[in-house]
Formats: sequence, structure tokens, C-alpha cells
Amino acid sequence: MSRRPSIIVGVLVLVVLMAGMVGAQAVYSQYAAPEQPVKFTHVTHAGVLQMDCTFCHRNVDKGASAMVPAVEQCMFCHKAVTGDGTDPAKLAEIAKVRDAFDSGNPIDWIRVHRLPDTVRFVHSAHIKALSKPGMPTAQVCSTCHGDVPSMGKVGQVRSLKMGDCVACHRQNSAPTDCTTCHK
Amino acid sequence: MMELTRRDFLKVGSVTAAGAVAFTGCAPAARESIIQSPLLMPEDTLNSFENWYGSVCKQCGAGCGIVVRVIEGRAKKIEGNPDHPLNAGKICARGVSGVQALYHPDRLRSPLRRSGPRGSGRYTSVSWEEALGEVAARLDALKKENQAQSVVMAVAPLRGVAATITKRFMTNYGGTVYSFETLDNTVVRRSAEAAFGDPLLPKFDLENATYVLSFGANFLEPWLSQVSYNRAYGEFRQGGAERGTLIQFEQRMSTTGASADEWVHLPNPGTDGVLALSIAYVIVSKNLTSAANIRNATGGAGAAALRGFEPAEAEKKTGVPAARIEALAEAFAKAKAPLAIGGMGAAGHTNGLFNLSAIFTLNHLVGNVGRRGGVLLNPSGPTREFGDQIAADPVRAWRALTDRMQNKQINILMLHDANPLYGLPPTVKFGPALKNVPMIISFSSFMDETTAMADLILPDSSYLESWGDYVPDPGVAYETLGLQQPVVNPLYSTRTFSDALLTLAKTAPMAEDMKSGLAWETTRDALKALTTPLYEANRGSIRKTEGGKTISQELWWNKVLAAGGWWDERGVKATPIAPKAFAPRDAADPKFSGDEKQYMFHLNIFPSAGVGDGSMAHLPWTQFTPDPMTTIAWQTWIEVNPKDAEKMGLRTNDIVRVDSPVGSLETTVYVYPGIAPGTVAIPAGQGHTHMGRYAEKRGANPLTLVDPEMIDASTGALAFNATRVRLTKTGKRYSLPRIEGGAVEAREPFDYTVIQVTDGKGGGATGGH
Repeated sequence: MSRRPSIIVGVLVLVVLMAGMVGAQAVYSQYAAPEQPVKFTHVTHAGVLQMDCTFCHRNVDKGASAMVPAVEQCMFCHKAVTGDGTDPAKLAEIAKVRDAFDSGNPIDWIRVHRLPDTVRFVHSAHIKALSKPGMPTAQVCSTCHGDVPSMGKVGQVRSLKMGDCVACHRQNSAPTDCTTCHK
Repeated sequence: MMELTRRDFLKVGSVTAAGAVAFTGCAPAARESIIQSPLLMPEDTLNSFENWYGSVCKQCGAGCGIVVRVIEGRAKKIEGNPDHPLNAGKICARGVSGVQALYHPDRLRSPLRRSGPRGSGRYTSVSWEEALGEVAARLDALKKENQAQSVVMAVAPLRGVAATITKRFMTNYGGTVYSFETLDNTVVRRSAEAAFGDPLLPKFDLENATYVLSFGANFLEPWLSQVSYNRAYGEFRQGGAERGTLIQFEQRMSTTGASADEWVHLPNPGTDGVLALSIAYVIVSKNLTSAANIRNATGGAGAAALRGFEPAEAEKKTGVPAARIEALAEAFAKAKAPLAIGGMGAAGHTNGLFNLSAIFTLNHLVGNVGRRGGVLLNPSGPTREFGDQIAADPVRAWRALTDRMQNKQINILMLHDANPLYGLPPTVKFGPALKNVPMIISFSSFMDETTAMADLILPDSSYLESWGDYVPDPGVAYETLGLQQPVVNPLYSTRTFSDALLTLAKTAPMAEDMKSGLAWETTRDALKALTTPLYEANRGSIRKTEGGKTISQELWWNKVLAAGGWWDERGVKATPIAPKAFAPRDAADPKFSGDEKQYMFHLNIFPSAGVGDGSMAHLPWTQFTPDPMTTIAWQTWIEVNPKDAEKMGLRTNDIVRVDSPVGSLETTVYVYPGIAPGTVAIPAGQGHTHMGRYAEKRGANPLTLVDPEMIDASTGALAFNATRVRLTKTGKRYSLPRIEGGAVEAREPFDYTVIQVTDGKGGGATGGH
């Protein structure tokens, strides 16, 4: 009997495994900026208009999660602001937000940053530790999130894996006990 | 181009499909890779508002101030009241568990009349009018037969207006009030009164003390005023310029002992008083304190008064080395603010009063009574009624009552939160005596052991549904009145005990005799009327006139309620007392029940961290508050020294039978290096047969083992640490519910008398004789 079929099966299994790993990698560390249901751009809001990060992510200095703003908050401005009226593509995106609010449907954004369940990351503690007097919030946030005001589509800029966290904690003399992050 | 046959296509296709299936589990679920942005602002979607009401905790006798978070008429969370002088915003596990007492599924929800044989648990619901009418008719009938003295009201210790109402009710009627508390503090109260001349417990100013000798006082555990002592302990260690030093003498290493700088193993139980007198001898003979102090404390006789308590003599009795006694005495006398505290470990013996009196008098010897960092005396309550109290009666009184019951001299026994059937040693035979009481009425809100024998139950409301007041005991050395207000409407058809008594006093046919001093319609009316002098006095934390503006009494009352009470830091102080002298003639050796050969171990009983003496056993949160030393929760265990365990071939989780001369029980061994060889310890609080689903049929009650003949002769209080026991292996095993694997086994054999926990310079463990 020839051994070839088993080798073929082995190679195929290996290929499938590797494909799976690549797939999992793509999911767990999303360097590539995902396509969002609404083509929201930080360039306009945080860049051109220079809105403070905490205007929308209002829990960032208060609790664990920075929080994605409620649709109602978009409507603070977009009740009146409907786009510059020249770019039909922009108009269509703003219309999506207004439709969502009018029809009572929440928007399902695609998560960009995702930490494993074993980690408890608290935004407020990091904001507090990294802020210096007079420093704009965007600069504090950029430590981990990069230059978001220049991003059309937001992607992840740091690995945010344990090595990354620990290296930064060491640099800043932050605690590196297991229970600091792992609960 | 490669030819793709149908067969190849299927092969490749199936492998790919298998891969897709296999790796689906590796990707996060869709719900985790999206973030939904809610439609409305979260802060706008709140459909209710929270209110925080100030009140008083009634989960133990300390009387801490609490604030309760109430949303839509439901109490959600209890926190410490940051303004209350006693606990300053802190609270304990039992305190936060108060909401579970409110929402407990086994709370008694309406008046009940027994419909089966006694103890059968068969009851039918009746209306309040019917229940109160029946009580009034029965009481009146007895009164007309001149049998009023055969009526007994047995309450848990009460304070303030509730105590006043209860006393006046029973005085008007002509019956007797008794009070019951498991592991009561009678000895501490009486000896503090003897030493400091104040019927109120003093404030041990731990916060400002620099050197504390604690003789079995477990002040970081459920003892007297746990939260205030815990807070003061933090200040004692880190608050002032000088870090305080704590020395603990005991047989079983408690949480307080584990926090001490030096844990001094006192090998011979009940010799705390001798040790204290020996410390006094050293101070007197070496002139380590002022001549006046020495003269006062020894009645002018000097060291001669303390002859027989030389350290060498004391070593023979106590087992603590003479050199150690001398060193501790010198350190104590030379400290800036020395303080000597005695607690349950020293009190629970046949010579308890002598022990504690000697310990407390040490404070006079070093001249710290009435001084910062020493013993501060408490003034009585701001008015007579608020200062009123019904303290627990000792076991001797309860045995006398049991005899009267047995002899059919008691016709009606009324109960309120008193549970003697659980808390008295069974050999007192309180249970059998109950059979000779024709009528038992209970005002308790849970079906505890004694209430389960009741013929009629008129359930009390929770303290979160009731009006009340509480002058903390021990207090904060100035006038403090905590006010308790209902934070929610009563959930069920229950009535506050004091309200029920006030209504009863106005119920025909007995109303005529009962009016005196009980004219108030409700407890709330009583509180409003009795606080009027405080409003008029225009002093304290909330005043009638503030900044030239006078507020109405109604507004003042609301402000006091919102603040959780009224206190006056600069108000009336306790009268200073003349220094007391030692009474070495009272020295008596502790007596123990059980022959030393037959019963090899001293039994040490201590209240559990969560369920305390058992009165909190009905709440799941207190049940799963683990003992800090062993991390055991929900259960009873027996602590055995590793040496003794090795000798008997016992391991942790072995079930043993424990026999004393009067009783026996089975419980599980926990091998504990912190207990002295020759002593075993069992926590109190479990072994309930009633009291709701979380308390029942769990663990064992160590009071079963206690010989009630063993009492402190002067006070009549139960000497709960004066019984000897023996252990027998059963061969059965039970896995104790523990949070951690257990204490580290002692590496050295246990013959260290002193374990120096720290030398204050970060040094390691040293020790030895």
C-alpha cells in the first residue's frame, strides 16, 4: 500500500490549520481598519472640527469603557447638519444616521479594538496616568490609538498584546502584578 | 490547465468545509465583534431617581449610622453614613446584609395563630386587630386574677425609646422584662462599670493610643463596636505620628491577634487577670508611673498590695515567662498613650469579672482614664429616654426564669428577637420548661427556634421599615443620637415592635391601666416629642438657630433625619471618676468543667466573622462571609493544633465527635497552627434548626457542649470558655467550604510562647522563651 494518500491528507490538514491561524489573527488583532456600517470619519469630526475626544466618548475618563456614543448624540448636531450639500455620498451617510434614529434602530459598529476576556482594561485609570497639565485629550489617547483625527477609517495601531501592555507599564513604572490587569 | 474532476471537486470542497466548521470556534462570536451604539443617551434613559436616606443599622448592638439607597420605593444598597461620628462612613458585612433581612423569602409576613401542635409549624394567618385583641384579652384576664407577675417579656437588648416603651409597658402591667443575647457582654459591662464608674461602656481610644495590651479582646471582629474599632485601628497604625504597637494575649489566634505586633500565647486559659496584676506589680515595684497613680491603684500599700503576683509567681500560673512580663510592663508604662483592653477571651471564665477588672484597672495605674489615647467615658444619652437601655441578663437570671417556667409560675412568655432556645446551653432545659408555659407570644420577624414554639406571632417590621433611635454603645465620648427612619414602606403586614406595644396599650380591655407614659400614638410621635428638648437646646450638629436665622422644629426634624441623627461634640461630657484600686484579693483560679484526664482539651468559643453569635445566620451574605483566619464559610469547624492532630492522627476535613461532660456534637477538623496545644476552638453561630432556609441544618452549635454550671460567680454570666472536651475520630470526612487551601503548616514545633510577628523594622519572625 502506498503512503501517499496519508501525506496528502496531512498536508491538507496543515494548510487548513494555517489558514485558520491567519483567519484568527485577522480577527484578534485588527490592524486593517474594518469597513463600518456608516462611513463615519474622524478626519472631519476630530480633525477639521477639532471636537474633543471626550465629547463623544464621554465615559473615557470616568470608567472602564470609553463608550461609543448613542445615536441620539449624533443627532445633537445632525438634526441640523446634513452635510455640505455638494457630496451626495456624504449626504447618504448622514441620512443613514438620521434614519436609524427616526426608525429607532441602533447602529451596529464593527469593533476595532478587542482585548481577551481575561483582561480588565480601565480607560479612566490610563487617562489619569498619562495626562499631563495642559495636554490635549487627543494627545493622551494617541498613546495607544495613534493619530485618530487623521484616520478616515479607524484601525488598530498597536498590538495591544500582553507584551505591549507590560512594556509600557514598565516604562511608566506602572504595576506589573498579574492582578493589575487579570481578574 | 489542471482538469478538475467531479470527485476531486467534492474532496477539496469537503476539506474546506471541514476547515470552516473547525475554525468557526476560533473567531470571536459576532456579538463580540460589534459594538452597538444605543439609540438614546444612557443618562436620559434612567426612568427613576435614587434617594439616599439616613438611618441607623440594627444588625448588631453597635448602632452605626447608615445611608440607604432607595429607588422607586425599594431599598437597594446600605452604606455607612459618612457624617455619623461612630463609623464615619464605614460599614461591615453584616451591615450591608440588612437588605437581605428586608427581602428575605422566609420573613414572617402577617400575624399568625398556631393551628397544629406546638412546634409543628402549622399556623394560620390572622388580622392585626384579632391578634392584638387576643393578646390584650389574655393579659387583662391574668391581671384581673392578680397574676400579672406571671407575665414575662423577653427581648433582645434594647436601647432608647424602644427600651423606654417596653419597660413602661411591662411596669404599667406588672410583669417582668428579661433580655437575652447569645454570648452576652455582661462581664465586660459590669467590670467596666466597676472600674470606670459608668454604666455605659467606655470608648477605648484606640485611634490615639500608642501601645495597646489586648487581653483576648477581639475588637477587629464581631465584638462591641466592630466598625468603629476597625476604623480606629487604621488610625492607630497609620493615622498619627507614631505607629501604635498592639500586643495580644490569647489561646486562639484571632483576626485581631493576627494583626498584632506581638501575639503572646497565654497557655493557661483564664489567667488574664493574674497576668494583668503581674504587669501592675512590675510597674509599681519599679516606679514606672507617678507616685500618685501608684498610691491610688494600690490603696497606698505600694508593691506590697500586689504580693504574690511577682512575675516569677505569675509565670507559674499563666505560663508566660517572667522576663516577657517585665519587658511588656516596662514598654506599657513608658508608652506615650498606653491602653489595656480586655475582651471575651478573658471574660468567658469563672473568674471573668476579676480578670477584666484587673485589666481595666491597669489603665488607672498608668493614668490614662479620661485622657486622649486612653479610656474615654461616655455621657448618658442626650435625654433620659434616649439613654435608656435593657441590657442582656446573664445566664443565672435565665436559669432562674427557666425554673419558674418549669414550676408553672409563668403564664405568658412574650418574645422579641430573643432566642434563648438556641443560645442557652441545652442542659439549662429551657425547651422542656417552655412546655409548661400556657401561652407564648412572639414579636420576632423570623421563625427562630424559640418563635417556632409560639402560639401567636405578631411579626416585627424590618429596621428599614421602622422608626427608632440609637445612642451607640459604646459611644464616641460625646453625646450622639442616631435616628432611624423607615426608608421603605412595610413590604408585608408587619408592625414595628414598639408600635405594636403602643397600640396594645390602647387596646380594650386593658387600656385603663396602661396609659401612664405611653400616650404616644406611634414610635414616630414619641421620637418627635422627645427630641423637642434638643431642638430647644439650640446646640450640636443641627441647631435651632443657625447664622442668626431660626428654623421651625419641623425643618429641624427633617434636617436631623436627613443627617441620620444629632450629635454634640462640645456638649455634656461624662463626669470624671476617682481612680480605682486593684482588688488582688478577688483573684480566683479559673474552674473548668470536666476531668483533665478524660477531657483533654479546653474548649474555646468565639463568634463567627459573618453570622456572629448566630443571630445573623439567616442571611446568605453573612453566611458566605468567610472567617478571615481559616477562610471557611457556611459551616462549623473545630480548630486543632498540628501537634495534637498528629498525635490523634487527625487531618483537616476529618469529622470528629466532640464530647463534653454535658453534651456532644460532630464537626469537622481544621488543623490550625494558631491554636494552642491542649485547646480546641469552635465558632458560634451555626447549628440552627429553624430561622429560615439559609440557617437551618447547617453546622453545629458549640453551646451544646457548654456546662451552664460554669458561671462567673459575681455576675452570673455564662463562662463559655470553661468547659473541657475530648475528641473522637469518626472515620468520616467532609470537605470544608474554604476559599483558600488553608493556613501554612507551622514549620517549627509549637513550643514558642511568644511569636514576634514584626520588630517594627521589617525584620522576620523571631521567637522563643
